[in-house]
Amino acid sequence: MSERIKYGYIGKIARINLTDETVSVVDTFDYVPKYIGGRAVANRIFYDEVAPGVGAFDPENKVIYMTGPTTGTGIPTGGRSVFCSIAANNYPEQYAWSGIGGWIGAELKFAGWDGIIIEGKAKEPVYIFIEDDNIQFINAAPLWGMLVHRTQAAIREAHGDDVISCVIGPAGENLVRNASITTSSDNVAAKAGLGAVFGSKNLKAFAVRGTGVVVPADIEKLFYLRKHMGTPYMRPSPIIHEEEHGMDGNRIAVEGGWDRGQVACSHGCNQHCCRLMMNVPSAFPERETVNQVEKCVGIFAYGFQEDCSWSPIMTWETKENSVLPCKMLSNEPPPINPDDPYLDVLFDRVSGDITNYWKPDFRKGSVMMHLCNEYGIDKWDVIIWYMTWIASCKAEGLLDDLGFAMEPDAESEEFVRYFLDMITYRKGRLGEIFAEGMARATRSLGHEKYGKTIYNGRYSQVIPGLRLDIPVSLESAWGMSYHWAGRGYEATIDKPGWLAVALELMTVTRDNQTVAHFHDTYDHLLAIGDDPCHSEVLIDSVIMNENKGEMKDSISTCEWQSPDLFWTSMEAEMYTAATGIEVTEEEINDAAERSKLLMRAITMRNFGRDREMEVNAVFPTLQYPDPRGETVTWDDWNDFVDLYYKKRGWDIATGWPTRETWERYGLKDVADDMAAIGKLPA
Amino acid sequence: MTSNNSNRHIVQYPKEYSLCAGCTTCEIVCSLLHDGVVGHGYNRIFLQRSEPDMLHTIHACMQCEDHPCYEKCPKKERAMVIDENGVVYINEDECIGCGLCAKACPYTPSRINMVKSSDRKLRKAKKCDLCRTRPEGPACIEWCPVRCIGMSDEPVPVYGDNENEEAGGTAPSGEELTDELAYGVA
Repeated sequence: MSERIKYGYIGKIARINLTDETVSVVDTFDYVPKYIGGRAVANRIFYDEVAPGVGAFDPENKVIYMTGPTTGTGIPTGGRSVFCSIAANNYPEQYAWSGIGGWIGAELKFAGWDGIIIEGKAKEPVYIFIEDDNIQFINAAPLWGMLVHRTQAAIREAHGDDVISCVIGPAGENLVRNASITTSSDNVAAKAGLGAVFGSKNLKAFAVRGTGVVVPADIEKLFYLRKHMGTPYMRPSPIIHEEEHGMDGNRIAVEGGWDRGQVACSHGCNQHCCRLMMNVPSAFPERETVNQVEKCVGIFAYGFQEDCSWSPIMTWETKENSVLPCKMLSNEPPPINPDDPYLDVLFDRVSGDITNYWKPDFRKGSVMMHLCNEYGIDKWDVIIWYMTWIASCKAEGLLDDLGFAMEPDAESEEFVRYFLDMITYRKGRLGEIFAEGMARATRSLGHEKYGKTIYNGRYSQVIPGLRLDIPVSLESAWGMSYHWAGRGYEATIDKPGWLAVALELMTVTRDNQTVAHFHDTYDHLLAIGDDPCHSEVLIDSVIMNENKGEMKDSISTCEWQSPDLFWTSMEAEMYTAATGIEVTEEEINDAAERSKLLMRAITMRNFGRDREMEVNAVFPTLQYPDPRGETVTWDDWNDFVDLYYKKRGWDIATGWPTRETWERYGLKDVADDMAAIGKLPA
Repeated sequence: MTSNNSNRHIVQYPKEYSLCAGCTTCEIVCSLLHDGVVGHGYNRIFLQRSEPDMLHTIHACMQCEDHPCYEKCPKKERAMVIDENGVVYINEDECIGCGLCAKACPYTPSRINMVKSSDRKLRKAKKCDLCRTRPEGPACIEWCPVRCIGMSDEPVPVYGDNENEEAGGTAPSGEELTDELAYGVA
């Protein structure tokens, strides 16, 4: 075994330049253990190497793909890994990240790399083939234009069935701004549109075969983690024949039923939270049916006449009733503990808004998902934004003059096919417009009319009969759609919850409820009381969730197992088991602060981020009523932001961290840089 | 596949009983417990991935009664040994990594793994010996999160027949979930 191999880490990152087809080696230990791994390392590399003024599609942009020290070790959830880059789909373009599962992270480490830095732009379409130290640039012309799974198959045919790939589909090739990167079956990095960045670099894929090993430091502890993280049931997971599909008011009987299995999303996980929908209708003629892997949002492709319901237990947990999301997604929640003193409150379900977007249709939903999977396009944007916009605008009579080649109808399979084909291949004027993503499309069409017109078809079920003035375009901030934000999609969360979500969104560049879903204890909700905008407890909750999010993508672990509110040292224990480096929970939290600060430095220096910019990006989105008819006032929102900045050690006036804050977390060099560009508060 | 020429060995259960989740836990715990590492050359059980349908196949040594791997070993009785239960196991101190055992395996893919290394001393054969020195039996079976593998000499279980499955709660249907619980989606 090479002396370079350290516990958890491999020790090398490959710098791969597409312009001149060169490869060089970066020492991982230039960045770790200080920056842990994953996204925190990528943040540091990006900060050091990408100057202001670079756009998503510029050759100077870099795609940094990183694993964490737990990746490939067998520590549950360590199979997650992350892409970081200036992203195409956030608005305006900013540095962002996107996580992915599958076997690719582990395979890269077996090949002897902790990550790769993809630079430049290939002259012609290529894919990268990594076989241990041998990294090749291979002509991808024969693959260009291929659908996602066909591309994967072609790579396996060329290099063997044991090769693992990350690929883009035609959407990425055509720079559709919400294009995704896919590994395995429908396992995607979709948020922020990094598939389009691949396309801009003429990069169709990278594929890996590794013959080396990953060495965890503490195998006994590793097995402890396997047994305790997420409390795996260790029982059979049979295929279940379902007679119906959907949830809440979107449930529909399926003729003949359908079969559901559950699969793991990543190497070494001890859960199986991804839904394998078996033998469901295909979108393409080659096969009548397909197996598709779906996670949370996919269920709304099939029917969206009612929004997601919510219960306090989904946000506020007790020791007696605390359930990880992976158990929800596998439809295996533990039995409810009746001894919980808050039982009645926690499970008091709040029905989602009546949305009237589209009636349940199993076949249309399946076809929509399959098209997204094969074109390589973010299904979140398709379901939650494009299609709700079509439905809302149609209801308000806004589509008559746009020039669609067929009657716009979100309930029509034919229209869904037409629409996704149009944007994937940028067909015609509308194809070009919608391929830019919804944030840009509505502005191109006229934002007042096509973004802000109120849709009159949405009604609260919290206050029955209350019509909710929600716009036709479900835009929140940074070119993202609403997500657990009190309005839009998954809107029925309570006000402390959606305030926390809004604050989390404010300081990042993309929807981060896929990595920092807001959770806390019910005791804390009681302490927050009825004035959440002035609650330091809520601010502490936000920072806890944000910091856990930073470390999920760095150590790495998973949104569905972290945080465990009643095992707060879990991430530190994972790190130590992988690396042998003893760390405390506080030290891991400091590393998260460091990662967050690097993100702050990047957004400040490269993208002009300050208080005014981010407060004004988020506040308007909160002026639409939640299902209880509530909003937040300008003064209360700003008081809330003041509390947050103060707790973070950021200047209240500008939102910029103080020198003391930078230096407290070992970033004196960044403080000096900020001083040099006039962004260090006095 | 079950050979007519096999001693007791590890089998994959029908997916109707338990669907392999593709997590690779079986491979991982195998290599960790035997060698302290995770890597493709070290596991003695194999997850053959199937994409995009995600219906994976698990392969392990069939423990052939006529043990052709053993017969081909140039150092049999030292590098490959048959224990008192008829299980062929590898004594790695003696194994020279020639690969003849792997080539002699009648199954495809070969059920004997080979560590690939430029250092010839590190090249070793890895073969399932049912964790013969482990009192708990095969680790892969013990640690499979979905119980989709077991031993060939035990009856193939039927889902729902085991009290423990019921006590733990069978995976509820979507209807049961949404009717009775309010967890929702994420």
